[in-house]
Amino acid sequence: MGKSRKSFRNRKSKYAAHNQKSAYLFLLPSMLILSVFIFVPLAASLLISITDMNIFMKDVSFVGLKNFTRLFADRRVGNATFNSLYFTLLEVPLQIGLALLLTMCLAKNNRYCKLLRSVYYLPFVCSMTAIGIVWSMLLDPNMGLIAYWLKQAGFQTVSFLKNPDLAMPTVIAVTAWKGFGYTLTLLAAAVLNISQSLYEAAEMDGAGGLQKFVHITVPGIWPTISFCIVTTTIGAMQMFDQAYVMTQGGPLNRTETVVQYIYDRGFQTAPNDLGYASAISVYLFLIVAFLTFVLKRFILGRGEDTDE
Amino acid sequence: MNRMSKWKKWKEGNKKGGRMKRLSAAVLSAALCMSLLAGCGDGAEKGTQAPPETPEGTTTGETTAAAETKGEEGNASSEEKVIVEFWNVFTGSDGDILRQIVDNYNKTNTDHIEIRMDIMPNDQLQQKLPAAIATGTAPDLVLFGVENIAPYVSNDSLEDISDFWEVTGVDKNNILENVLELSHVDGKLYGTPMQYNVSYLYWNKDLFAAAGLDPEKAPETMEELAQYAEKLTDPSKNQFGLAMPTSVTYMQFLWANGGDADDPATNQNLLDSEENLKTLEWLQDLMVNKKVSPENITGPEADTMLQAGQIAMYMSGPWQINGLREQGINFGIAPCVAGSAGAFSPAGGCSYVIPKGTEESRKQAAYKFMQYWLTDDILKEWSQKNGFPVWSKTLMEDPEIQNDEVLSAISKATEIGRSYNLGYALASQIDNDVMIPMFEKVMTGAAKPEDALKEAVEAMDRVLAQP
Repeated sequence: MGKSRKSFRNRKSKYAAHNQKSAYLFLLPSMLILSVFIFVPLAASLLISITDMNIFMKDVSFVGLKNFTRLFADRRVGNATFNSLYFTLLEVPLQIGLALLLTMCLAKNNRYCKLLRSVYYLPFVCSMTAIGIVWSMLLDPNMGLIAYWLKQAGFQTVSFLKNPDLAMPTVIAVTAWKGFGYTLTLLAAAVLNISQSLYEAAEMDGAGGLQKFVHITVPGIWPTISFCIVTTTIGAMQMFDQAYVMTQGGPLNRTETVVQYIYDRGFQTAPNDLGYASAISVYLFLIVAFLTFVLKRFILGRGEDTDE
Repeated sequence: MNRMSKWKKWKEGNKKGGRMKRLSAAVLSAALCMSLLAGCGDGAEKGTQAPPETPEGTTTGETTAAAETKGEEGNASSEEKVIVEFWNVFTGSDGDILRQIVDNYNKTNTDHIEIRMDIMPNDQLQQKLPAAIATGTAPDLVLFGVENIAPYVSNDSLEDISDFWEVTGVDKNNILENVLELSHVDGKLYGTPMQYNVSYLYWNKDLFAAAGLDPEKAPETMEELAQYAEKLTDPSKNQFGLAMPTSVTYMQFLWANGGDADDPATNQNLLDSEENLKTLEWLQDLMVNKKVSPENITGPEADTMLQAGQIAMYMSGPWQINGLREQGINFGIAPCVAGSAGAFSPAGGCSYVIPKGTEESRKQAAYKFMQYWLTDDILKEWSQKNGFPVWSKTLMEDPEIQNDEVLSAISKATEIGRSYNLGYALASQIDNDVMIPMFEKVMTGAAKPEDALKEAVEAMDRVLAQP
């Protein structure tokens, strides 16, 4: 086994040395796509953020760091940052916790579990816009089905998306509802990969269901969990569609996230200040980069340790 | 070795529960593919949105026609037909009537002009148009709200069409001055009027009668409005006296008590006044204590509830009339209510404009269509079908217009129209950053009127201080 791996490694390095050109050729298509949609826009937004460009793109001049100093005095940036963090801090644990909880029951390969896993995956397939519209209709206090049920059951009508205190939790719940099926699929696949012998050994030592879950399942799928935490966090910090569709950032800007404020400054409110909007984008980029770095350092790092 | 045995096991397992496994695998892979597609779809939606709400049936015909004429252009026989690309924001039922008029023009005009119309939501137009003008791919004719003219002109993005009257021979003295004024910036003409409107007070006569009020008499003062609204509100029936959407401004109330927001001519902040405070206190009492309106509704939600007969009174523009007629609501139209300083209503309208850089032949063709719109026949058709007030002086003498019940009610309500920051480049920023947050805080009870006003005064100072 060891011998064959060594020879394989030798072969690999030789192969690489001879075929660097073809390697770059293979990389080319994705590099092209990434450049057009990621690298160039990233560089462009960095550049635009130090200009006073507006949507008409005329008479552009450099203004240095003025957009950034303005950003830190802007209360709505603070508010939007708070909302994004609030959303992330609640949505990510909810989505992953829910998925983890269901994994306990559904990580078996029988018909019933497979069916349920597929069903839970379905909302993830739908577009967030469609889901947002459907949920706002269901939750509408004047003509929604849920309001009607609540009324039939003798409760007062609650306007989930109109109440400043309830709007964000509602958006969080809908997002978690849409996303947990995806996380569940990833986690279930990881759980099914854990060797049965570990569980058997634990059983012989007298471990109960919860103990097996905490001491075998969770460490066993930790790399997958940490992957889910990082990707879900990045996605949550960039949340836009659901609030845009369901609340438009209201009531009282309580669901306005950073991306939404960027959109508002750039495309909704005259003078459509693209320079300032780009400066906020750069600010968000730095926050997400920092969060990813921290998460990778403390969560992914730990995962690698347990791996080896 | 190891790998082989695993493969065998998998194969055997496959044989056993094969069908089930294959089926679920197929379902799952389909779901995965769908999610990929959905991901792509999101992006595509934002980028290349097709014109929404194109009436069925015309779509296919139009695209083939477009393809044909594109082909003609390529064959250098474009002299025969001048194609005018026309963008507008008429996504409602009025868009269908506009399309009929345009289709009819395409069929009947003798100048070989073809207007190719593209309807999109205002949000989307505001994103696409500036970029299109900057890159020389703009349409040749645009129809949008007059509040947009000033910001576009200040960015040098619209054609000066001051020669329109001379070129086309249209008599500009036949158009009411205040309507025409909305298309001017610094004395130059940048658009021709398409429609003009103010906000009216709609009331549901049946709900008035049921509440023991005179169904033929709308409230005339702010006190009456509040009294009636309270009487007409019945939470048990999910019925509200007065719909007051947040995310809009209520200048009519500030003006009614003698207050104002700002003076566009002098860049002056006029928010900080006793009158405004009094109005905001009245507004908070109405919304928070008397609860006459559904909480935090949006405009479209209020429209739906009005059409469903759940709302007794609502201040809105002429575009409600068709929907109310269709739903068979027994409604009346009155001017906005008066306060201590009189009654006023914010005016608005739409104008045809020509983006900067439009080629001369297409500009002339656009002139022809604008001229066609300003004929009394078309203006009459538009006013009668949509319930918009008439502003052509010869048309106002028309007996058919004078005898139209809705139109005569409207012309009374239109007399109190007043311009709110129209033609002012900072208008949309003042609304979004100062006025709407202030009204929202007061109406939801999130802040005391004096605190909300103080905050708004500061925000207004910041907006007005901009170069």
